[in-house]
Amino acid sequence: MSNILEIKNLSLKIGIQDILHDISVTVPEQGIVSVLGANGVGKTSLMRCISGIYHATGGEILLQGEDISKLKSHEIVERGIMQAPEGRQIFSNMTVLENLVIGAGPLGRQELDHVLALFPRLEERLKQQAGSMSGGEQQMLCIGRALMRKPKVLLLDEPSLGLAPRLVGFICELVSKIRAEGYAVLLVEQNVKAALRISDTASVIEHGKIVIEGDASALANDPRVAEAYLGGHVHETA
Amino acid sequence: MLDPYILQQLAIGLSLGMIYALMAIGFTLIFGVLNVVNFAHGEVYTIGAFAGLMAISAFGPPLLVVLFIALAAGALAGFGLERLAFRPFRRFSDEASLKSRAMREATLMSSLAMSIIAREAMEMIFGSQFQTVDLAYLINKPIHIGPITIVNGDLIILGVTLVMLGGLQWLLKKSPIGLSIRAVSNNALGAKYCGINTDRTIIITFVIGSAMGALAGILVGLYYGAIFPSMGFTPGIKAFVAMVMGGLSSVPGAVISAIILGLSESLSTSFMPSVWSDMVAYAFLLLTLIFFPQGLFGARRERV
Repeated sequence: MSNILEIKNLSLKIGIQDILHDISVTVPEQGIVSVLGANGVGKTSLMRCISGIYHATGGEILLQGEDISKLKSHEIVERGIMQAPEGRQIFSNMTVLENLVIGAGPLGRQELDHVLALFPRLEERLKQQAGSMSGGEQQMLCIGRALMRKPKVLLLDEPSLGLAPRLVGFICELVSKIRAEGYAVLLVEQNVKAALRISDTASVIEHGKIVIEGDASALANDPRVAEAYLGGHVHETA
Repeated sequence: MLDPYILQQLAIGLSLGMIYALMAIGFTLIFGVLNVVNFAHGEVYTIGAFAGLMAISAFGPPLLVVLFIALAAGALAGFGLERLAFRPFRRFSDEASLKSRAMREATLMSSLAMSIIAREAMEMIFGSQFQTVDLAYLINKPIHIGPITIVNGDLIILGVTLVMLGGLQWLLKKSPIGLSIRAVSNNALGAKYCGINTDRTIIITFVIGSAMGALAGILVGLYYGAIFPSMGFTPGIKAFVAMVMGGLSSVPGAVISAIILGLSESLSTSFMPSVWSDMVAYAFLLLTLIFFPQGLFGARRERV
């Protein structure tokens, strides 16, 4: 299978701080790839580079072979990358429907039925102010808004953050479902266990560098990952 | 039955309020997208009046054309203003710097500088005294309705403002551009993630807001027959007060506050000397800041 998104030797400096150093991640078509790591290691910065909020100081980001690392955020969206960002960034004093339509851009309401089928909860709340919904519903809106654009690659930044365990399960199922529909997903997570369960491959970032990478199943059994992120040795928990 | 004098003052106050509303919308829209106060907004108003005046003395077009020329001049002024005084300070695109305090303070100074430059330039070109306006264009022909007398300008101002407000409401609620403006106002970073071209949206906001401000300028110029380079200062202050009363970034709030302000100023002349009527706006500003720091209509709180 060919690769839809390739991040090659990406580095990011803000001021004198090295945020990211020589990061390479590849997302195949219809693949789910996750980037894991603790708070503040640069995961969100990486996502912001891909969406053009930050501009990388080195390396390149190839979407189907085209370097998008110098483009502006709206040009990147036009080329088919949508992100459900950290902190959700929904339009809290607009209605749920307006949020979805803004996400759709030129597609208007074309994908509305599809998105509402994925998130039936949103259908009941279309006319409600987005900011008045619960955190889980806001997260659904955030992902739904990104899907309204029918992106080639969906970026999810910590979709499980602050959600009840039952909702984490829902989000995981959803990501698998989205992949089955043909989307490629790049997932950033602190919830390593949940992320590894649904991903094909994964990379672990520490201090802006990739320290471990490989198949998700291999990582789940890697003692280094187990010790640092899964709270114990695999052999004990397995 | 109300005293005819009161009715008369109400009619004048409504016109005044409508003018403040046109001005306040520009302030409010721009504050919404950038969280900054555009100190050059009063000069945009003056530019609108002068553009209309120049059109009148050059080729004497019909009133409607004069209004359109003022609108266009305002739009152009807004575009230039954003490019010169705001865009250069917006170098980074993440959340922290898009609406940062540093950015707010820098553009506060740069827009103030632009306003001084524009005002001084107009004084150099036209002189600081009142300009003579062709009498045929003045909109102060009296109309008698029962016991009170209004002028045709009151009706024109009311009509034009209602059209503009209706158009703006449609634009903000129904058009893709309006949706983008509201999205950027609400969450600029979120707008970027949705593929909205925020720079273009900001420019368009300046264009719309400034066009409305310029329209207010020419309307007042023809209503009072007084067009001069520093005419934008007082209405600028009044519109600023209306914006603060309305809760900073709420368009309906600003419009309602502007009308309240206009009516109160005009009614105040029935019990105090008219030279003191400017005090009403300042009193409102103080009372609002002390008792309703979120604006009269209460700002909505965001859920975190």
